[in-house]
Amino acid sequence: MRRVRQLGQCVLGAPNARVVLLMCGLLACSGQIEEVDGAGGGRRDTRGMLSGGSRGGSGVTGNDGPGSVGDGANSGSGPGAGPRVDLPMDPDELAQVPLSDVAASVSPSPETRLPRLTHVQWQNSVRDLLFLASDATLPVLRPDPVSAGFDFTNSGATLEVDAFLHDGYQQAAEDLAGRVTADPTLLEKILPAGSRDATTGPETFIRGFGLRAHRRPLADEELEAYLALYAEGARHYPSLSAFEAGVRVLLEAFLQSPYFLYRWEPSEAVSGDLIPLGDYEVASRLSFTLWDSMPDDALFAAAEAGELVLPEGVAEQVQRMLDDPRAQPVVESFHAQLMNSSKYDLIAPSTSVFPDVPADLGQSARQELASFVRDVAFTKERGYRELLTSTETFVNADLARLYGVSGTFGDAFVKVQLDPSERKGLLTQVGFLAAHATSADADPIKRGVFVAERIACLHISSPNDASPPPQPMPGSTNRQLIESHTEMPGSACAGCHAPLINPFGFPFENYDATGAFRTTDNGFTVDASASPLIDDTATPVENALELIDALAQSPQVHACYARHWLEFMHGRHVTDVDEPLATRIGFESQSAAELSIKELVETVASSRAFLNRSTEEAP
Amino acid sequence: MRVGRRVVLRGLGATLALPFLESLGAGKVHAQAAPSPTQYAFFFRQASGVACAQNTGEIGEEPERFWPRSKGALDAANVQGRALDELTAYLDRLLVVGNVRYGDFNWGDGHAAGALAALTAARPVVEGAGGDSEADGESIDHRIGRELNPPGRDSLFLYASSANGWLGGPCISYRSPGQKRAPLHNPQDTFGAVMGAIGDPADAGAAFTAARRKSVNDVLRGQLQSILGHPRLGEGDKRRLDLHLSTIRDVEVQLVCQRDENIERELDGVDQIYQSNAGPDIWRTARLHMDIAALAIACGYTRSAALQIGVGNDGTSRYEDPDTGQLMENFHYISHRRLSHGSDGGVIAGSDLMHHKVDRQFAQAFRHMLDRLAAYAMPDGMTLLDHGVSVWYNDNGNGPGHSRSNVPWILAGSAGGFLQQGQYIDIPGSAGNHARLLNTIGSAAGVRKAGGGYLDDFGDAGLRNDGYTGLCSELLA
Repeated sequence: MRRVRQLGQCVLGAPNARVVLLMCGLLACSGQIEEVDGAGGGRRDTRGMLSGGSRGGSGVTGNDGPGSVGDGANSGSGPGAGPRVDLPMDPDELAQVPLSDVAASVSPSPETRLPRLTHVQWQNSVRDLLFLASDATLPVLRPDPVSAGFDFTNSGATLEVDAFLHDGYQQAAEDLAGRVTADPTLLEKILPAGSRDATTGPETFIRGFGLRAHRRPLADEELEAYLALYAEGARHYPSLSAFEAGVRVLLEAFLQSPYFLYRWEPSEAVSGDLIPLGDYEVASRLSFTLWDSMPDDALFAAAEAGELVLPEGVAEQVQRMLDDPRAQPVVESFHAQLMNSSKYDLIAPSTSVFPDVPADLGQSARQELASFVRDVAFTKERGYRELLTSTETFVNADLARLYGVSGTFGDAFVKVQLDPSERKGLLTQVGFLAAHATSADADPIKRGVFVAERIACLHISSPNDASPPPQPMPGSTNRQLIESHTEMPGSACAGCHAPLINPFGFPFENYDATGAFRTTDNGFTVDASASPLIDDTATPVENALELIDALAQSPQVHACYARHWLEFMHGRHVTDVDEPLATRIGFESQSAAELSIKELVETVASSRAFLNRSTEEAP
Repeated sequence: MRVGRRVVLRGLGATLALPFLESLGAGKVHAQAAPSPTQYAFFFRQASGVACAQNTGEIGEEPERFWPRSKGALDAANVQGRALDELTAYLDRLLVVGNVRYGDFNWGDGHAAGALAALTAARPVVEGAGGDSEADGESIDHRIGRELNPPGRDSLFLYASSANGWLGGPCISYRSPGQKRAPLHNPQDTFGAVMGAIGDPADAGAAFTAARRKSVNDVLRGQLQSILGHPRLGEGDKRRLDLHLSTIRDVEVQLVCQRDENIERELDGVDQIYQSNAGPDIWRTARLHMDIAALAIACGYTRSAALQIGVGNDGTSRYEDPDTGQLMENFHYISHRRLSHGSDGGVIAGSDLMHHKVDRQFAQAFRHMLDRLAAYAMPDGMTLLDHGVSVWYNDNGNGPGHSRSNVPWILAGSAGGFLQQGQYIDIPGSAGNHARLLNTIGSAAGVRKAGGGYLDDFGDAGLRNDGYTGLCSELLA
């Protein structure tokens, strides 16, 4: 659950990048960075515990047990450390520091050591581990609880294994183990060479398959435990050959192992002000962050070769991974969650008011958003500015009609140019507009709250429990009704609605409850003008298009977007320590050069904060 | 629990072999009585208040359509025309509790103040955050399961209606402060969880499975223990690992609970509709959950179950108008009397009557559960219904206002003679008195403090400071 900072009755604190940066400066710049500079925070140039040679074998270090397996390169400060600089407190000065230097200088925040795989990550990992087809049917796990506030679904510290999920994992493991061992083709795919050797086969299988299941080389005691379990296979599955029986019961265990179900980060050796991650930990961080799945062979090879504790090694892998199609669903998922597109499914305009609206408008809107994001991020390789301001989108026949696009359309989604005097980017797409509406009319309050909180990262206090309903105002516009209800001078509501909420919502009054463009409301000309608070300044706009332009030019809005990415990629809430990087990315994203989404992700994935652990554990 | 003595399930059209269920026996419960191993609690949650007497800005004067006419003994005349008349067959086993008031904490949202607090009696983790906060306490349904179920066996948390929505959708059950529980949404999963945990010692296959799983579990336990031994593990990580470790349990073969063909037949196809927001689908899902919950209680699988209908404000469910067969507007709109989840939107004509129709559907569904529980005949001559307490409660007291006062809590079953029956009784006190009600229900289900005394300190410490400790003595038999 997100713990919001609340300064004053209505807004104004945490999300204000300038304020946060000042707070952060006191923490990070005067303390930690000074210490690190003294500790020689340059890039790691030794191989730590593994440099002595154990990596060539199992990668297991001494007698430290599974907790230190394969993660030994723990001296120095790891990739992303680069040449560290003292980050200025003033945002304008920070804007002059090269982005790469900021990324190389930010410290990691406390994080869970064992984020549980999301169900999407579990499904992808199962398919990759067992070499199943991408469309192979997998058992369905019980859904995870949904946070009352806004959290990405990969918030690692909140994902747990309760009794019912354990039962699901168990059932799935047994089903999958049975499916694989009953199919000679599938079985052969998972067997490392030499697995059928009568003498060494079991160990060969356990070491080879175990490396991929645990995503690191196995420790000796783990190998022994699995060998013992293999030996019991014949007793548990007497109708199978000893080998297949052993493999089947091993698969059941591997698929339920906490080392498979969690992304376990055991590194503990402190270097300076942080704990560097080992190669295999980095490989998993990268793969689950960028692909929502386990590492592939190239990542395992890079980890084996010790390349993932080197900045250039990480950069090479990140670029390769972002160019891989597996990155696209992840970027789509980020934006789907950011825009709360699951809510689109609930879009249900009143059929008495909108008799022609299609029943599956929400599903079309979700598809539109996904296609649009994929196009901007991967085809155009553009950034947040383009997401906010593009006049292109993807439509089927229903959406084309709603947007007023001429031509012949069917069920397929095709790229079209929208009327630039009516539409611009994410916030004028049907999904956002119709999901933030009543069944009969636009809802400027919900639209305003969403833009203020999600897009501008401003905090808004909740309304009083007993807010009175507005009285009907025949002969008025929707805006006039909301104004009369929420902006009465001196009222409790006016404190937040007048300066903050309504100015972010009224510019969208040109769009009705279905997202269709309108110039009149209840027979009156729509007034979409407002003065929303952008970059700490009330900014006059005439309509949504001007609001969007103002948002797209705001470094704080771009920093807000970066903050969401930091949350998503770290699987935790942002902290003050993250703010310099968010702020600096915001500048770069907003600038004429426009940091692309791929570049943004690459920056975070290569940062010092991403590739190291804090010396402080998450509470 | 003994094996070999059987009770027989009536009413499901099949004979179901069950373990003998110990009983308390008839008669009043004396102070600090030892709990019976078959006491239990079932919670059935409705959101957004009931259609009671009130004056709303949208409709005007709305008549009383929910509460009995007078306090005291319940009879048919007392509830005629009210939603509670759907439960007329069970009036002698009902305890209608009036003047239940939730704590006066700063939730910043009327639904959060009910949905997240009703079973926790807790304050929000973050005050004033509205829909963005969680409850800062464990819920009573989980507490009962945690204390009375076999180790590692969670209480059942069941859910019907569409998945995501206000307050995250399923939201009433908390494992610990701030830690919301995941529900079982698909009744097929509920059935699988219950039946999968129970093995028949006479079934050679079950014993075989149990042996294999134990071999695997031994490996898993060792791995989890190894991680737990890491010297730098944070408290949150330890807590999650402890939970995971507790779930690694070997198959219990001491229970006998035969599969029920009727339930299995009804489960066919439910996976296609269990996430639907249409009333008929919701009630089919809910009734299946109830059938399985009753079975799970009867079989000794759990001593606690909670069934949530609808998201945080039940703002996606569209119940059917029984007079027209058409789906009405979503229930939250109806409760607001407006076409809006907020306070804007046009007035829905007749929405007070629509609200009443929804209340009746909840009453009918609750009656279904009571029918199921009453179908289990116990050796002492009572039924399973009488051995525990089943609760139909609401998040709010009424519609548009979403009050925290006079929130409906309808109890059924005496919990083996622990609770009064056939009465409509007010409990004393003001905001926060429902913590005492949760103490009472927890104790009725069998929760005892370490020294053997009744549960008397559930809920937020602030409520205890306000004097809301102990039980609601006026509700005790």
